[in-house]
Amino acid sequence: MSTIKYICKRLALMVFVFVTILTICFVLVKLLPVTEAEQFGKDMNLILQRRKALGYDKPILVQYLIFLQKSLLGGDWGISEELYRGQEVWGMFVSKLPATVLVNVYSMLFSVPLGLALGTYAALKKNKWQDHLISTLVMVCISVPSFVYALLIQYFLCFKLQLFPLQMNSGSDYFTWSMFKSVIPAVISLGLGSVASFTRSVRAELSEVLTSDFMLLARTKGLTRAQATVRHAFRNSMVPIFPMILGEFVAILSGSLIIEKIFGVPGVGQLYVSSITARDYNFFMLLSAFYTLIGLVSGIVVDISYGIIDPRIRMGER
Amino acid sequence: MFKRNLKRAITIALSACLMVGAAAGCGNKEENNNTTPAPTQAADNGNTDNNGSADNNGSGSTGNSGDAGTAEPTYTYNGALTTFPTNWNFHEYETTYDTEILNYISSGFYVFDYNDTKDGYKLVPGMTVDFPVDVTADYVDQYGIEAGETARVWKMTLRDDLKWEDGTPIKAQDFVTSAKLLLDPVAKNHRADTLYNGSLEVVGAREYLYQGTSTFTPLGVGVSDYLANGGAAENIYVDMSFWGITAADGTNYAAATDDTMVRDEAVAEGQPEDYVSAKYLYETYLGPGCPYESESSAYLGTMVDYAADYSFDNVGVMALSDTELVLVLVKPLEGFYLHYALTSSWLVKEDLYNSCITVKDGVYSNNYGTSVETTASYGPYKLTFFQADKEFVLEKNENFYGLTEDTYQTTTIKVAYVAEPATRLEMFLSGQLDSYGLQAEDMEEYQSSDYTYYTSEPSTFFIALNPDMDALTANQANVGANINKTILTVKEFRQALSFALDRSAFALAVSPVNGPAYSLYSDLIISDPENGTSYRSREEAKQVLVNFWGLANEVGEGKMYATKDEAIDSITGYNLAMAKQYFDLAYDKAVAEGLLDADDTIEIKIGTPNATSNFYNKGYEYLVNCYTEAVVGTKLEGKLTFTKDDTLGNAFGEALRTNKVDMLFGVGWNGSALDPYSLIEAYTHEDYRYNRHWDTSKEMLTVNLNGTDYTASIIDWTRTLAGTEIEIAKADGTKETFKAGSNDGVDELRFQILVALEGAVLDTYEMIPMIDNSYAALKGMQFNYYTEDYIYGVGRHGDYKYMTYNYTDAEWDEFVKSQGGKLNYK
Repeated sequence: MSTIKYICKRLALMVFVFVTILTICFVLVKLLPVTEAEQFGKDMNLILQRRKALGYDKPILVQYLIFLQKSLLGGDWGISEELYRGQEVWGMFVSKLPATVLVNVYSMLFSVPLGLALGTYAALKKNKWQDHLISTLVMVCISVPSFVYALLIQYFLCFKLQLFPLQMNSGSDYFTWSMFKSVIPAVISLGLGSVASFTRSVRAELSEVLTSDFMLLARTKGLTRAQATVRHAFRNSMVPIFPMILGEFVAILSGSLIIEKIFGVPGVGQLYVSSITARDYNFFMLLSAFYTLIGLVSGIVVDISYGIIDPRIRMGER
Repeated sequence: MFKRNLKRAITIALSACLMVGAAAGCGNKEENNNTTPAPTQAADNGNTDNNGSADNNGSGSTGNSGDAGTAEPTYTYNGALTTFPTNWNFHEYETTYDTEILNYISSGFYVFDYNDTKDGYKLVPGMTVDFPVDVTADYVDQYGIEAGETARVWKMTLRDDLKWEDGTPIKAQDFVTSAKLLLDPVAKNHRADTLYNGSLEVVGAREYLYQGTSTFTPLGVGVSDYLANGGAAENIYVDMSFWGITAADGTNYAAATDDTMVRDEAVAEGQPEDYVSAKYLYETYLGPGCPYESESSAYLGTMVDYAADYSFDNVGVMALSDTELVLVLVKPLEGFYLHYALTSSWLVKEDLYNSCITVKDGVYSNNYGTSVETTASYGPYKLTFFQADKEFVLEKNENFYGLTEDTYQTTTIKVAYVAEPATRLEMFLSGQLDSYGLQAEDMEEYQSSDYTYYTSEPSTFFIALNPDMDALTANQANVGANINKTILTVKEFRQALSFALDRSAFALAVSPVNGPAYSLYSDLIISDPENGTSYRSREEAKQVLVNFWGLANEVGEGKMYATKDEAIDSITGYNLAMAKQYFDLAYDKAVAEGLLDADDTIEIKIGTPNATSNFYNKGYEYLVNCYTEAVVGTKLEGKLTFTKDDTLGNAFGEALRTNKVDMLFGVGWNGSALDPYSLIEAYTHEDYRYNRHWDTSKEMLTVNLNGTDYTASIIDWTRTLAGTEIEIAKADGTKETFKAGSNDGVDELRFQILVALEGAVLDTYEMIPMIDNSYAALKGMQFNYYTEDYIYGVGRHGDYKYMTYNYTDAEWDEFVKSQGGKLNYK
């Protein structure tokens, strides 16, 4: 019961935070100077009258109330005025989301099992050469920015060895072999950092758990090392790891600007920055609302997940 | 319990992995061979994989063999863009990237083609059967046409085989309907001004568009000049955005006589100017003699009331029959400029266009020309695939009127979005792209390749400076004590900056394909488009260059240079000794005028759009090093410093006007290569100039016309080139009215004025020519250009019309494979 109360409280707070963040975003983006209407050889009045029709000349508070009524409550996020002129921002966003999700899902499927396996192996072989090798690779992958190995992967695997296409395929036939093959370089580039991150965390957690007293107890009561590791050590080490995996799920919806650019993934990675620089207000507010909501919901889910993984942690308990 | 759940979770995760893998594995394995990603979805012609994959797999035609029973050979041009088109509706498009599609799905009434000797261009009928016929005499007493007028009403006879891509015939009435849609008063289309804002001004177009509204039209000249020329003070309105507020009625404009006080939220209540009125702004800031009078041409204007219920019948676009289209113009226009103004058309497919319109809460929007489904072609190619920021495919439109056996061999144009130059080069070397724009770092390897083609564009890049005393003083105060910026107001300092710039070295270090620039207009600007005469090739234009670089006294018999050409050839723009001399002069002058103290450090803030562009990063470094070294040994040694604002983004072009920075580099104007007379406005009109310092309404310029010196303001000379009647004064003070528009029959005088204006702009040293706009690109082995030289208007292949191929797509794939998948272009 207390958990339900806790969730309700968090949801109410979430609405408050959501509206606050959107208000700040709206005001800040509207405070940015609008691109001048004057263009060489252009009838400036056409631009000014369009802006007037869009309500750009109204006070920011009035514009905000219109946004709340039309977009947030009415679900009409409007038309893109700059980035994809004449097209509905929601439709455009949704059309670009699958490519990002595809690459990120593959990346997660690649990075989570590999990260867990490598981390577990390194922990079990702690301070042996296998552990040192894995730890060194982890440090390299974490230290080097993803675009560096993205370019290296593209050059060696795609250009020199011709194992994969240089760019992701076009079209929306996402579940074809050809498409799968074309996203592999992006998936590896995107996933290497996560693999390293999971490996490092799992190794650290598991190493600590493996030396705990209860592990000694488990062994003394007759469990084999494998049984003790899987049943006791692994489970306990998952408490901080599982929220990390959930975090990866959240990241699925947000694209990587650099990786998408290098491998020609027609996703949402560049939209947020572009919407600000282009002063595409509708696009910016849609993206702000979407990612804010995703972030807030995931925060709650992650918090609740602690209680599920480890029953000793119960949210809302005094 | 937990154990069971964990097992389940792992089982589900593993199952998901297997399903995704299996699903991925279920695809067409034949596509495995397809190294060029091909579109897998198309809206109106089935699977566009047919084109690419069949050939790539070698299962289709072997190309030009022409064997019976095999498919037609395909010839695909693969291109790449770094910015993708988003809207190719002629009524709405904005950027040149949009024309990457628009140009190929549309056609003009008249089109550019190669001349007979293939060394220049000519305009030929496109959608028409011949050049337009002047029928002005038939319309006397209509549309305000008086007897004796010519070149105001033109009849074009359209081809009778014009069709949309689906075979629907195109008739003259369709152009009338499309004009009505373009000028729709509700839509306020971005390109509505096509029919009234340029040289082609159609009668009634503006009135129809703006019917029932009042429109603010900026004065365009300083308010003193406006009043002196008979303008009435009571007609003046103030654009309240000058003060960052709106008028009492919520609009941007209020009469200059309106004393209604409006709250300025930026000022605390009770403080001075917490309430202001239009009258106050006019009398205090913008009016004659006020401190911001220089801004009056933009922020003061008149309101034009347009009559409501203006019928489209009054608009000068009409169809006499299915193939006869008549245009009625406000001002006479004929010859090249008439044909040139008609090299595009406003045609849209009415039923499709109307189905794309939505009006929500009074806001009109139209998504015509934003996807395959909302696009209809009447040009040589039709859009068959489009994925935003990924790829578009154009295929030959069999219903295009201009297809012949000898032209348009290219069956498909496939353009991908590839942002990274390194990726583009790899794709090019793998045979997946047919051209590659060389970057600075590639030049060493490919500059002498047989496949490298150099192309010069008409535009020039400049260093733009802001010598506005008020702005510099304010900026100077903001950066602290003993920091000076106002030395930029000293012309000698700007001259020194110009002489200290080693343009050739700059180009080599920053952008090796570019060459140095020494003038406002490059060699590619055409002053007589009828004959293709280059502006720079005229003696008067050469003289401007000679004068500007201080060689006027060095040309002639027995002098350093026998001819102007020799003198011009000697110009490098770099003279370190003179630069040092001017730095010293500038220092002395600044000290004498009280601008600079001996212990002051000069700080110039240079603006760049971002921190990622190599051009701007290297350019900034070069400029800093170049100028720091140039002042060594002068009175400014150790005193000249630079800072950078690399966050300007889209506001880059406006940064001088808004006083964010003191210097921009790599700025300039492109377009109007055939009309330098209107392009000069970009440098003299304050709406377009990079800074708003120079008050061209007050700066007087004397021009020798037919042996007599006449004086007028710079802006008046500019305006008269556009056909406005101005008043010019002789040396004795007597005044004459004068007009030098393109139809005023004074072409030679126009040229003289243009030359004088170029000289005047250069002489301000506010726009210092830096490098020309050139690029180098590698051409793929699959195809051939029509001409080796780049020809204005038609390029090297006439927009694919004359491009020919050495290999079909199938043969090309085989060829690339035979080369081990890597092509050698060195």
